[in-house]
Amino acid sequence: MSNKTAKWIFYVGTLTSATLFLILTWDTHRQIAALTHAEQLSDEVVAGKKVFQKYNCNDCHTILGFGAYYAPDLTKVYQRRGEDYIRRVIAKPEVVLANSFRKMPQQHVSSSEIDKLIPFFRWVNGIDTHDWPPQDSRKKPLAGAERLVSGSTLSLGAALFKENNCFSCHKLHGVGGDVGPDLDGVGSRLDLETIKKQISDPQSVKQGSEMPAYPELSPQDLQAIAEFLVHQKGGAQ
Amino acid sequence: MITYNSQRVAYPYFVVALLLFGLQVLMGLWLAINYAFTLPQSLVNAFPFATARAFHTNLLVLWMLLGFMGGTYFMVPEESRSELFSNRLAYFQLVLLVGTGVTALIGFLFGWTQGRPLLEIPFELDLVVVAAALIFLFNVAMTLIKAKNWTMIQGTLLGGLIMLALLYLFGIPFYRNLSVDWYYWWWVIHLWVEGAWELVTGAIMAWILMQITGVPRQTVEKWLYVEIGLFLFTGIAGTGHHYYWLGAPTYWLWVGGIFSALEPLPIALMVWDTFRYIKGGQHAISNRVVWTFAIGCVIYHLIGAGLWGFIHTLPPINYYTHGSQVTVSHGHLAFFGAYALLNLTIFYYAIPRIKMIEKFNARPGLLGFWVSGIAMFLMGLAFGVAGVLQTYLERVLGLGYMTAQAQMQFWFKVVIAMGLIFLIGVIMMIYDLLTLKPASQEHGNA
Repeated sequence: MSNKTAKWIFYVGTLTSATLFLILTWDTHRQIAALTHAEQLSDEVVAGKKVFQKYNCNDCHTILGFGAYYAPDLTKVYQRRGEDYIRRVIAKPEVVLANSFRKMPQQHVSSSEIDKLIPFFRWVNGIDTHDWPPQDSRKKPLAGAERLVSGSTLSLGAALFKENNCFSCHKLHGVGGDVGPDLDGVGSRLDLETIKKQISDPQSVKQGSEMPAYPELSPQDLQAIAEFLVHQKGGAQ
Repeated sequence: MITYNSQRVAYPYFVVALLLFGLQVLMGLWLAINYAFTLPQSLVNAFPFATARAFHTNLLVLWMLLGFMGGTYFMVPEESRSELFSNRLAYFQLVLLVGTGVTALIGFLFGWTQGRPLLEIPFELDLVVVAAALIFLFNVAMTLIKAKNWTMIQGTLLGGLIMLALLYLFGIPFYRNLSVDWYYWWWVIHLWVEGAWELVTGAIMAWILMQITGVPRQTVEKWLYVEIGLFLFTGIAGTGHHYYWLGAPTYWLWVGGIFSALEPLPIALMVWDTFRYIKGGQHAISNRVVWTFAIGCVIYHLIGAGLWGFIHTLPPINYYTHGSQVTVSHGHLAFFGAYALLNLTIFYYAIPRIKMIEKFNARPGLLGFWVSGIAMFLMGLAFGVAGVLQTYLERVLGLGYMTAQAQMQFWFKVVIAMGLIFLIGVIMMIYDLLTLKPASQEHGNA
């Protein structure tokens, strides 16, 4: 190869790639408003982003898959965990994650700051990430939670159990969170009425319970969830 | 042996870089302990993982940049055949950077952070970094201008350093839109490690090989053009492999996928060039340590950055591995292979010359190389196994994040064990480099 050819490889290679990259960057800027629903990117959301940065959340959690890998990805946390759980875990990580073998620091995030984080996570949840991450995909049903609902225990109660984010805190057949008690075999421990009371008004069963109340559930839905749970017999695994 | 007195300014850069390297590895071990064991809430509150991680990554960036800068100050006088424009500026700039680094680390402990991974340092400190970078570039450029002895290797080095400084600017502003924020975050991180830093690597590696093998300059410069041409061709558009899932258009899956699949090519060329130069060189290899580190660097670079990167930037695979421990595995192997070993190559080349040592005992350096190199490789594999487990359990089976992490515990313990061995290797190299002495006649086999 001659010296001249080598120089040409350098100039042509660099310029082609840089040109392509800059053109696509320009086009990405044209499209990104639509892909990220920029019309919903309010000052409130931006304030939430600032809180997210202030507490360095991103050096434990990933978001859009970027950051540190020490804690769950937050891209779809709004859909996966729901607003109530997000509030509680940030305000009282030492209580909510008491049983978790990995802890989250108590950073004394004020409630007005948490109020800002919620719209931020709601907005991030809406970004078109081409169906990433796979664990939160609605298009590709995953084996764990979905199979539990649609397979062995196909019932209205099971579907409602999932829809109301009970898995965020409770584990069933090895799937779900560590915040509340494991519900395997709960039907052997509690009767139907106690389960119903526990869901609609936890304080009435146990004073100081950390579980949020679900008074908005219709009586039929409450009955269906409680029936589903009371059929979970046998000892806890 | 140094020819120009001002080459000595490189030495304090190397010393600080080595000490920060040691601290970075210690912090890494602490992070691994966080992964493998349950720590009490009070400790987590006082010193969160996030802070320790900011230490680990910022120390990495700082020591590597100091190594590059020291390497540049060492190389430029000899290449341009003149003393540096100003030794004082070089020292001042070092003080400025180290001061910023120490302030940043203390600030992290008190929550003074921008909260963006790797770019955590607050805006005020960003300005100091920019000032230091400008002083550095000014000093180097003035040296070259006054010497009027332009070479292609210097051009590549200076080009890489200017690119490095310019790209840093994209990381400074506050972006309202998270997707746009990450879009430009990668202009700093990706275009550094797969653009600007590769230019610096290409130039320094070519220069050292030219010095130790005596291969003619024309040959080295010709192939350097091809290398950096391919690096920039694949690297610039290859940035697209970070844009798959952040809310950007779908064409990035194609552009990122294709260009990053080509990214191993320039590294392979670099390996081939290195072997050819060493085989066809005029000089007998007099410094076996530099030779070992140089070859180790290019091969490790090819495996860690090239092969590992290739495997997990293919979009259908990346859909499952993105942001998992697979990324961690790639990050460790690539940074160690490409840039830690490059810096160590520079140190082993330059420090004996600055200390006017002709021959030194090669054994501690070689031992440090093999111990740290093998330990890091096994650590990378352990991260990789953990990553494959995570990918399958969390992202294919749909188990909860922590349920999946629980199954990975064993591999994090392996990481700790390998980290300890790695630390031993690193301490051996640091100690050896800081205490180099001329070998006595009978042991003079360096």
